Amino acid sequence: MTDQVLYDRGYRTYDGPRLGTAGARKAVYKDGVRRVLGLGRKARQKIFPWSLIVIAIIAAAVFIGIHWAIGNIEESLRQQIPTYGGLFDFYSGISLLFIALAGPQLLIPDRTKGVLSVYFSRPLTVDGYLVSKVGAFATVVGAIYIVPQIVLHLGLALIAEEGFLTYLGDNLDILWKVPVTTMAFIAVHGAVVFALSAVIDRTGIAAAAFLGILFAGAAVAGRVAEAGFAGSRYFALLAVDHHPRIVRDHFFGDTVAYAPEQAGFEVWVSVVAIVALAVASALFVRYRYRRLA
Amino acid sequence: MVGLGQSRPPILEVSDLTHDYGEVVALSGLSVEVPTGVIGLVGANGAGKTTLLRLMLGLLHPTSGSLQVLGHDPQQEPLVVRSRIGYMPEGDCLPKDQTAADFVSYAAQLAGIPPREAKRRSSETLFLVGLEEERFRFLGDFSTGMQQRVKLAQAIVHDPDLLLLDEPASGLDPEGRTQMLDLIKRLSTFDINVIVSSHVLTDIEQTCDWVIMLDAGNLLRNGPLKGFEMLGTVLVEVLERPEEVAAAIRAEGVDVAVDGMRMVVGPGDETIEPLVLAAAAASGSGLVRMIRGSSSLEDLFLERETAT
Repeated sequence: MTDQVLYDRGYRTYDGPRLGTAGARKAVYKDGVRRVLGLGRKARQKIFPWSLIVIAIIAAAVFIGIHWAIGNIEESLRQQIPTYGGLFDFYSGISLLFIALAGPQLLIPDRTKGVLSVYFSRPLTVDGYLVSKVGAFATVVGAIYIVPQIVLHLGLALIAEEGFLTYLGDNLDILWKVPVTTMAFIAVHGAVVFALSAVIDRTGIAAAAFLGILFAGAAVAGRVAEAGFAGSRYFALLAVDHHPRIVRDHFFGDTVAYAPEQAGFEVWVSVVAIVALAVASALFVRYRYRRLA
Repeated sequence: MVGLGQSRPPILEVSDLTHDYGEVVALSGLSVEVPTGVIGLVGANGAGKTTLLRLMLGLLHPTSGSLQVLGHDPQQEPLVVRSRIGYMPEGDCLPKDQTAADFVSYAAQLAGIPPREAKRRSSETLFLVGLEEERFRFLGDFSTGMQQRVKLAQAIVHDPDLLLLDEPASGLDPEGRTQMLDLIKRLSTFDINVIVSSHVLTDIEQTCDWVIMLDAGNLLRNGPLKGFEMLGTVLVEVLERPEEVAAAIRAEGVDVAVDGMRMVVGPGDETIEPLVLAAAAASGSGLVRMIRGSSSLEDLFLERETAT
């Protein structure tokens, strides 16, 4: 015999605060961030995102180290070492891989596993759901771009001959140029990956399609634009991955001439193309999800 | 405990509701008023059950007519209605890469419960559905029965006023089915109104006290389950003169089939028994036995479907 008693705790009613649609949107946002970082998921889902994040941080430290080492040898050589603009090229490579993984993960499992039926039985609209997902995406991808840039900025200030504060004061424009360039990258890459993830049911296929559109699409668009037939130059605008790079070059100095530039388009055309792509993608994804809800 | 609450405001009021998907009419001129309690929504596949549930959630818009859920119009105030409803979909709705505790907590937060309280309620609710030991396991590793329990947990974690269960026992083995039905019955003791959609009529018989029967988008019957059961037939055996007894009953407009000293009277409600007693007394015949047949809801559903 034992004196232990099994208590049935039953069901407790809830009379506390309810946060309504704002609470629901915040929950989707937090879950989105956790999902792309693999938090609360199995270990193998953490490996890829965290590897890329660690590489990004280490790369920033290496950049600073190179600046410091070269500066000790010959200060004038430091001008030839890439800084903010060059770092964008490096991080756009990392972020492309990250986005290829994270973007489809944000949308596809909810749709294919039927979780949308749970979302939309709650006080949550389609717009609220999508805005929260975009917010989660922008937060994590933005951090991949901006955090290493901050590390680089502070590192360069620390090793600057003119002194830490003077360097920061002389380079205040970095504080808006980096975020604006980051937004251009996020807008283009986010627009493509969200549009693909809204229609493709396999995350692997969506990731491959994303990378294919950005790399192969840009190459094909560039070739067609050079073909020389009437209006062929407009095909250069389909090299969507080149537009944020043109914006970056506008702020941080030219590196190479991208397809739209070779076709004679000004930087403002790239800005319009970025906005148009983002708006078109948003409308398409919204239309798709309103039908699914 | 939530019982049949005819005096309380109805949980669902539907007026001349029609919904079509182009050529296919899912619901046709449906008008029902449903009291509080555990309600069964019965019909074959394609009868319009899920369409009605989705209309209640404001996820579909009626082609014509109107409905009120818990006193609110889901077309005008979908978020108000959804904040008071828990919904367990028929199909898969679980992310396989999350633990049960995380997902149920997340479901609570989606309903507006603050995160800390959501975690606490997640644990309690998983305890209630019998998954306290498994709550930190990933959903992809769960059996069908365990997944059905998680689906139920996510639907009740935020203390809804009304719970919509779409085929809750679908895919379960007999033991799992019994456990799920017991859980649903138990919910009524927690002041939660429940609408159980099912095409398995025995499930409804075991759990519900009110039934809405749909057939191809039309209403077959809306009323208390008790009334359905009372519409069965009555087996009567007399000592002598069965034809006289049968004639007296037929004179009152009730069907009788005579077989020797036995006869089957009805179908009909509880007025049959006094009628048989009176007929036997008037004929001077002794009554050996009188047993009401336990016709199932399924028999009645099939009978009515055939009649229409």
